[in-house]
Amino acid sequence: MLRMQNLSKVYRTHMIETHALRGFAIEVKQGEFVTVTGPSGSGKTSFLNIAGLLEDFTDGEYVLDGINVKGMDDNARSRLRNEKLGFIFQGFNLIPDLSLFDNVDVPLRYRGFNRAERKERIEDALAKVGLASRMNHFPAELSGGQQQRVAIARALAGSPKLLLADEPTGNLDTQMARGVMELLEEINAQGTTIIMVTHDPELAVRAQRNVHIIDGQVSDLARKTPSLYDTNAGANAHVA
Amino acid sequence: MFQYYFLLGVRSLRRNPALTALMVLTLAIGVAASIATLAILHVMSGDPMPSKSDRLFVPLVDNGPVEGYTPGDRTNQQLSYKDAYNFLNSKQGERRVALYGVAAAVESPKKDIGMFTARGMAPTGDFFAMFDTPFLYGQGWSPADDASGADVVVLSRALSEKLYGNTNPVGQRLTMMGFQYQIVGVLDTWDVVPRFHRAVGRNSAFADEDEYYVPFASAIRHETEHNGNMSCTANTDPGFQARLASECTWIQFWFETRSAGDRVELQSWLDSYASEQRKLGRLMRNAPNKLYNLMEWLDYLKVVGNDSRLSTWLAFGFLVLCLVNTIGLLLAKFSVRAPEVGIRRALGASRKEIFQQFLVESAVIGLVGGVLGLLLAFGALALIALQSKELTIVAHMDWLMLLLTFAMSVTAAILAGLLPTWRACQVTPALQLKSQ
Repeated sequence: MLRMQNLSKVYRTHMIETHALRGFAIEVKQGEFVTVTGPSGSGKTSFLNIAGLLEDFTDGEYVLDGINVKGMDDNARSRLRNEKLGFIFQGFNLIPDLSLFDNVDVPLRYRGFNRAERKERIEDALAKVGLASRMNHFPAELSGGQQQRVAIARALAGSPKLLLADEPTGNLDTQMARGVMELLEEINAQGTTIIMVTHDPELAVRAQRNVHIIDGQVSDLARKTPSLYDTNAGANAHVA
Repeated sequence: MFQYYFLLGVRSLRRNPALTALMVLTLAIGVAASIATLAILHVMSGDPMPSKSDRLFVPLVDNGPVEGYTPGDRTNQQLSYKDAYNFLNSKQGERRVALYGVAAAVESPKKDIGMFTARGMAPTGDFFAMFDTPFLYGQGWSPADDASGADVVVLSRALSEKLYGNTNPVGQRLTMMGFQYQIVGVLDTWDVVPRFHRAVGRNSAFADEDEYYVPFASAIRHETEHNGNMSCTANTDPGFQARLASECTWIQFWFETRSAGDRVELQSWLDSYASEQRKLGRLMRNAPNKLYNLMEWLDYLKVVGNDSRLSTWLAFGFLVLCLVNTIGLLLAKFSVRAPEVGIRRALGASRKEIFQQFLVESAVIGLVGGVLGLLLAFGALALIALQSKELTIVAHMDWLMLLLTFAMSVTAAILAGLLPTWRACQVTPALQLKSQ
């Protein structure tokens, strides 16, 4: 589903070069649920941004669902992002002056679906997250957990192959976080590949596989903090 | 997608009503000021008779005295009776019209109105065909009437309604200046602007319609006093007959040719006429003999003053100022939208799509500004019209101007939106999403 090899990301200012990622390599198979952990500044978000085609990388190779994305122009990347990827952010990132219906509509508009198909997909997606009855409400009228559900519905509406989540439960209380997590697991069970960045060790271990990033590189964490991975240490075999 | 962007644009108007109102108002005021002045200039400088403006010619010959003459001096704008008479009999061109302004005491057939003065004109009979005047009833007079100086009259619609109401007065007799005139026709409202056919004299190009028309020959026969500009360079004996024999210029003249190209022929005839006259001791200045087609004539008379043009430029300068202001306001409006741009980019919008969305949003502001601008422009024109009666006739909008208002407002808004839109497109989605 996703393969990165010898990938590097360098931020340059006129004074300094910062290597956010170096010699980065990862492979995620179709249908996996992978969590990504690591200390602040380790390169987790850079990885997610590059994986999500929101940011370009400096060197190396990145193949997404069989497509080499290196050197793609903005239009092609946007198209690919729209068709293959769904995003869930820590801050929900709903557009405040659009109703839930219209928020979920956004990626579908860029896909070019006709009105009937959009309506069906929006209603399906909102039903899936249990908010079908509130589609004419506005984000501010919902709780944090509900907003995140809408964001998930928006990410799902275009039937993406890969869902990228950046601390999706970071702004939620435990109970709401659990609900969102269960929803993500359900989505994964239905076949969508998920990569989730998280700080929460508890969530990290719930996934099939955890990838730890330190200093811009995937580190073999099994040895360093085995306690986190004893439940499915075998999954680390996928890390190239 | 345009429809989607348009809806988003309309919705966005409500997002920050104060800022939106400020932008719309700024744009509307700028557009209204430009459109109001442009509307006036447009009406003043338009071609009043596009179908034949290149076939209508005003001839001028300089019959001033040689003393005190420096070559290049401006010629008189009218003709003496002698020249006008000769031109009328020249058989040059397809039609020839000599005319001069008159004013008459009219005795109303209605008892309650009594006697009043009406402003009119004494043209030759070709006048009506040459200038395509619209007739409500009847028609102009015949060449025979011209030849005999018959006492016939064509009324304006306004005068006809004043005297006879809505009935057809053709055939009735009307007493004017003590003589009985038979009504042969009534013109329909003839709101040609500027009134080029009688443009000589201060403000006459934008004056009210003439109220009646009597044959030139009839007016001369009755020695009807001339009402308008007259220029005499030598002492003239008193009396109407003396004026006819003098070199005073007071008659306006028009030739209509079959084609614009016939101008060359007409010019050479005019030159040979002038040299014939010099043999008789006239036109001794030997100044160039001029022919002006309609638009050249209006230009020569400076019917559109330089201050009208200047005020239009000023109004457009003001529009530019408003635009700069709108750019600032749009920058503010769009800069707080960076998170939305980030989200849309992440969800699959390309830079191009973001660019289109924000530009359409600017255009929506322009459209609303256009509507308000139009209302303001109408208000401004109404105010201008209140200032003077002469401006009433020029201070109005036509469809072209209406369309131009919207086009200008939308274009202005899009222009103002370019920089803010470009800035909005530069949002790096990753950075925005992280900062949330």
